[in-house]
Amino acid sequence: MAEVRLNKVRKAYGAQVAVHGVDLHIRDGEFVVFLGPSGCGKSTTLRMIAGLEEITTGTIEIGGRDVTRLEPKDRNIAMVFQNYALYPHKTIYENLAFGLRMRRMDKAEIDRRVKSASAMLGLDPYLERKPKQLSGGQMQRVALGRALVRDPDVFLLDEPLSNLDAKLRVRMREEIARLHQEVGTSMVYVTHDQVEAMTLANRILIMRDGHVQQVGAPLEVYDRPANLFVAGFIGSPEMNLIEGHLERGALKAGGLSIELPPGIAAAEGTPLVLGVRPEHIGVGEAPGAHAFHVAVIEQLGAQTLCIGEVAGVRLRVLMDRTDAVRNGTTLPIQFRPGRLHVFSKETGARINRADADVGRRPAA
Amino acid sequence: MSSKATIYSFLFLGLAVTALLIVAPVVYAVSLSFYQMDSFVGAPKWAGLDNYTRMLSQWVFWRALINGFIYSFGTIIFQVVLGIGFALVLNQVFPGRNIVRGLSILPYLLPTVVVVLTFKWMVDGSIGVLTTMMSALGLPQVQWFESPGAAMASVILVSVWMWTPFVTTTFLAALQTVPSSLYEAAKVDGTNAVQRFFHITLPMLKPILTVIVLLRAVWMFNKFDVIWLLTQGGPVGATEHLAILSYKQAFGQFDIGGGAAVATISFAILSLVVFIYFRLFPLDTE
Ligand SMILES: Nc1ncnc2c1ncn2[C@@H]1O[C@H](COP(=O)(O)OP(=O)(O)OP(=O)(O)O)[C@@H](O)[C@H]1O
Ligand SMILES: [Mg+2]
Repeated sequence: MAEVRLNKVRKAYGAQVAVHGVDLHIRDGEFVVFLGPSGCGKSTTLRMIAGLEEITTGTIEIGGRDVTRLEPKDRNIAMVFQNYALYPHKTIYENLAFGLRMRRMDKAEIDRRVKSASAMLGLDPYLERKPKQLSGGQMQRVALGRALVRDPDVFLLDEPLSNLDAKLRVRMREEIARLHQEVGTSMVYVTHDQVEAMTLANRILIMRDGHVQQVGAPLEVYDRPANLFVAGFIGSPEMNLIEGHLERGALKAGGLSIELPPGIAAAEGTPLVLGVRPEHIGVGEAPGAHAFHVAVIEQLGAQTLCIGEVAGVRLRVLMDRTDAVRNGTTLPIQFRPGRLHVFSKETGARINRADADVGRRPAA
Repeated sequence: MSSKATIYSFLFLGLAVTALLIVAPVVYAVSLSFYQMDSFVGAPKWAGLDNYTRMLSQWVFWRALINGFIYSFGTIIFQVVLGIGFALVLNQVFPGRNIVRGLSILPYLLPTVVVVLTFKWMVDGSIGVLTTMMSALGLPQVQWFESPGAAMASVILVSVWMWTPFVTTTFLAALQTVPSSLYEAAKVDGTNAVQRFFHITLPMLKPILTVIVLLRAVWMFNKFDVIWLLTQGGPVGATEHLAILSYKQAFGQFDIGGGAAVATISFAILSLVVFIYFRLFPLDTE
């Protein structure tokens, strides 16, 4: 068990920069998820922690030890690969034991650890099989087991669930959460699935084009996205983003005028982007309600998603399940100032006051 | 025409071509071994197993058999070990890698005659580049084709030189099929490069290696041109193996039946070796 520190870690392939300086302090026992779209540099960052990718500049410390120039085997890390990377010609037992054998561990101790990991992951019936004779979910468990037996300082997982079907993915996600609670070792987990990130992480690091966009607890990035990219990336269905400009404390967009929360530090007429989550739009008559014309209805089961427009602005509205809405229905809706996210159109940065109450009930 | 009929007609065509090109000559050659014939024009005389008993009772036959094994084992071991070695080197990233990869296949592309003549020229007693280099280094003169041991070494050397590139190229291609994540997993698991070779590369490439070794073995056991061009089986039979013996018997001694008997025995031995080989190294490992 140990903490991990990344100091200005940067990776360039020739002239192309894949990762532009990541600074991160992963606390002992913390579960950190790297989240971002394809090609944003999440795997590269993880592989630099593992020692599988050379670090162009910057340093990495694990448990207070500078490991920047160390081989993977000397970093005391364990890794789980997307395609499992099990040794096809070795039995499951041998797959689990291999890393310990290579470290010349005592035979009895190896056996004890393999048995304990296999019991923990329900692999006992398969120990004598070859990887080919297992299902995807079972192989993934072996890959986890191989990391587990090592008892490393930190677990590194690169999209471990992306080869599994949706149902199995949810099961394995729960299993990984349980494992993390049981062993309490720091984990770094790469994914492009925001649900995995939200449910597993203590903290999420969101990347884009090799740049860190925001680091924070799941609800923190949901409640206070630092910029337009994070706002659009986190949350499902996607946040509504309405372009307009500042006019007397309100956002003017087409025929629409939306009252903004106080404390917007921007000059009159500044172009802004207003973000509002579909689930945060109020439906029902109230003073100052806007008329929302429904064009498309998506029934999600417990909720109903309506897509339409208000005064010429396209909008998604998520409400509790209702069967009453039809294509062409007009609904009264309101924007609540406390639930609005305001971004500069020019830089994309959030310009609400940092302490603005967004989404959460004010603390009593 | 139904698709089944199409399949059968293609199958029949394939079988017919196989029969014509492979089975018929083999049957003809084998049948020759039961006749006494001193030329292909004279009338053959039935000889039963005479040709076999006659050839098997001669010392030259057993010498040729042993020479064949020495030659094929020698060439295969060096080809495979060197071939894998070169493939591992060429698989590394270094400047000019593609040029070196291209050049490395060159000996395989040259006609055998050219390689053999080049070698003869290199070891020529007065002007050979190898001879000159060795004497400059103060090494003793080697009579490359005069002493039995050196002659066998020469034919093995030239064969290894010619066919190592085949192993290198095949193995290099096969190396590209091993997923890099396996090596990465093994690195994380604490292995060094040598351990990765024995725990990942070799087991992963075992099926391909099995085929390479078999192909090389069959080819080397029947290899005729290199030896014929270099030594013609000499000196005094030191490099004479079954293929050379069979040729000499049929076309030197005008004993076509005897030559055919040697060829048939050689064929039988090779079949047996292949059979045992597949028993020892089954292709599908599950
Ligand atoms: N060997 C390489 N040479 C050059 N560029 C590379 C190399 N490996 C990765 N890259 C580039 O680095 C960037 C980051 O790649 P990386 O694999 O970290 O993305 P990722 O966030 O893991 O994406 P994904 O979700 O698709 O796995 C990409 O733009 C990729 O093209
Ligand atoms: Mg990746």
